[in-house]
Amino acid sequence: MEPVLVAQALNALFGIAALALVALGLAVVLGLLGVLNLAHGELVMIGAYCAWVTQQNGWPFLAAVPLAIGVCGVLGWAVERWLVRPLYQRPFDTLVVTWGLSLLLRKCAEALFGLGYKSLTEPVGGTVDVLGATYPRYRLLLIAIAVVVLGALVAWYGRSRTGTRIKAVVGNPDLARALGIPVTRYASATFIVGTCLAGLAGVLIAPLVPVQPFMGIDHILMSFFVLVVGGLGSVGGLVTGSAVIGGANSIVSAISDSTGGYFSVLALAILFLWLRPRGIHAQR
Amino acid sequence: MSHRFIPARRRILTAAAGGAVLGSAPAFMRPAFAQGKDFKIGFFIALSGPASLFGPTQRACAELAAEQINKAGGILGRPVALLFTDAGGPPAETAKSAVRLMLEDKVDLFIGSHDSATREANIATIKGKTPYIYSPVYEGGECSRNVFCLGETPPQQAQPSIEFLSKEKKAKTFHLIGDDYVWPRKVNEQVKKFVAQAGGKIVGEEYVPFGAPNKFEEAVTRIKGAKPDAVVQTLVGADNVNFNRTFAGFGLDKSIARLSLLLEENTLLGIGAENSANLYSCMGYFANSPAEGAKKFRAEYMAKYGDKAPQLATIGADCYSALNLAKALFDKAGGADAKKLAAASEGLTFTSASGPVTMHGRQVDKDMYLAECKGTHFEVLKTIKAVKSGTACKA
Repeated sequence: MEPVLVAQALNALFGIAALALVALGLAVVLGLLGVLNLAHGELVMIGAYCAWVTQQNGWPFLAAVPLAIGVCGVLGWAVERWLVRPLYQRPFDTLVVTWGLSLLLRKCAEALFGLGYKSLTEPVGGTVDVLGATYPRYRLLLIAIAVVVLGALVAWYGRSRTGTRIKAVVGNPDLARALGIPVTRYASATFIVGTCLAGLAGVLIAPLVPVQPFMGIDHILMSFFVLVVGGLGSVGGLVTGSAVIGGANSIVSAISDSTGGYFSVLALAILFLWLRPRGIHAQR
Repeated sequence: MSHRFIPARRRILTAAAGGAVLGSAPAFMRPAFAQGKDFKIGFFIALSGPASLFGPTQRACAELAAEQINKAGGILGRPVALLFTDAGGPPAETAKSAVRLMLEDKVDLFIGSHDSATREANIATIKGKTPYIYSPVYEGGECSRNVFCLGETPPQQAQPSIEFLSKEKKAKTFHLIGDDYVWPRKVNEQVKKFVAQAGGKIVGEEYVPFGAPNKFEEAVTRIKGAKPDAVVQTLVGADNVNFNRTFAGFGLDKSIARLSLLLEENTLLGIGAENSANLYSCMGYFANSPAEGAKKFRAEYMAKYGDKAPQLATIGADCYSALNLAKALFDKAGGADAKKLAAASEGLTFTSASGPVTMHGRQVDKDMYLAECKGTHFEVLKTIKAVKSGTACKA
């Protein structure tokens, strides 16, 4: 096969993987709790800054993972406890609250780190030959990580006791409470998992993009499109959504140009909202 | 006058900014101006949005110039008051602010350090009723009435850099990539001409949506397949950083030369030391520029702001030059009459951030510096003296 074609195929794969990683946290929170967390992009941004702080201090890159999980976990706990919990069943109010939170977090990042672009060194640098195409190592690694994380999540959610209980909480909170499942705690834990996943995605993409306070805006938009197309509440939906949005963007960008790629993403999102608002994997 | 239709936050912002400037004026100089009315300047810089990265430098440079001008007696004998106004939003929003500045604040002059799309909206709104100095690098050819341009034009930036790439880097084939708005498209029209003059060939031209979440893997792969000798970029801000990081990540930095037409210190920091090999920039100002004037400006800037000084760069330094032009222009014309200003501007010499420059045809002829990136620093390879803007507006 032509090396250029191999490289473009890998680009599409990378686009899908990166998108799935970034959208995962949003999917967990929106799919399970019904909360559209507009501060999701800012949590990704915070994760990216965690990676930058790690590298600035000369710590090993992997140290950014516990740091991001710690920071985003605490933040997630506090946000759920004081902002989101009083507003379950009031989706529009949650939207406004998390939007305000996104502005606040962006300003906090600006105050702490300034508006300048921060750049990170790729922890795994250089390129490697794949079927004749030279491809950056770190991007290949990111594809592998996305597969592992999503696979682990599917396995855990499908088989573990906690997964079953979360399903009970999501499906019928009152009945779950009657069965003695601590619904409030599960909701809180689910939200925290969502924010930690956002932080983790931030760490992973940080070496590839300019890290700056505004970076979250790009990610929330694309993640939202993924969920619109894929549908809520299942990993299958997330993967399908990422494949459709990320794949279309990549393939059209490769054939024509980025304007075409972005146009196809917007067109798909509009078509789905119009004709199939619950997405491909509609659950409820 | 009623303020009902003006968003409160903008009023507060402008008032606070103007107040801060006046408040910071040394006490001894206030009485000297006690009788006169302020010379009000509506100063457009990015206070919101991603371009606000440049805001602190723009403001610091403008305030330094205003302080110096006020010490030297102000403009037309009146103390300068800067009304900083946000130009970081959509062009139409900025144009609305321009209307307010004209009708309510009755500004004597506009200065703008923002993108070309905003300039076009502002000019269509102001219609030459108030003089307007546009300061950053731009595509050239702006001859609207009562508008004065300071920035580097393609004949100043692109022509010498393309000559350099084709002569010294032996580049024959060029790929053009830019953001999709007026500056990149107009610049590339001229880039194509310069490439043809140098005997080279354009093998690709593409644009990415301006302000969209762009990724560049596909474009970089396409460029890799086409194997041009050089890539000429008219990408701005985060897109510029993103493209160049991806480009080097795919290992193309070794074999393909890159020329970026808006590459300054902040953007280069984002691109990072390991991604900046074989990358060139050509500007009229670099923070470490070897020119005597630039060294003097830098020393004054550092003396005023010390360790907390925002990063010096061409966007920001242009604000300093613009205010110095304003003083020279109005003082020579002796008033604000459009015809007198245009006449006074011809052959007018004033102090820019890089040293003395001369205005011709309401544009500025200037020395250009061609630099190669070494890590996150610019190393000036050559200085091209007194390059003409290529635009000559009638007086």
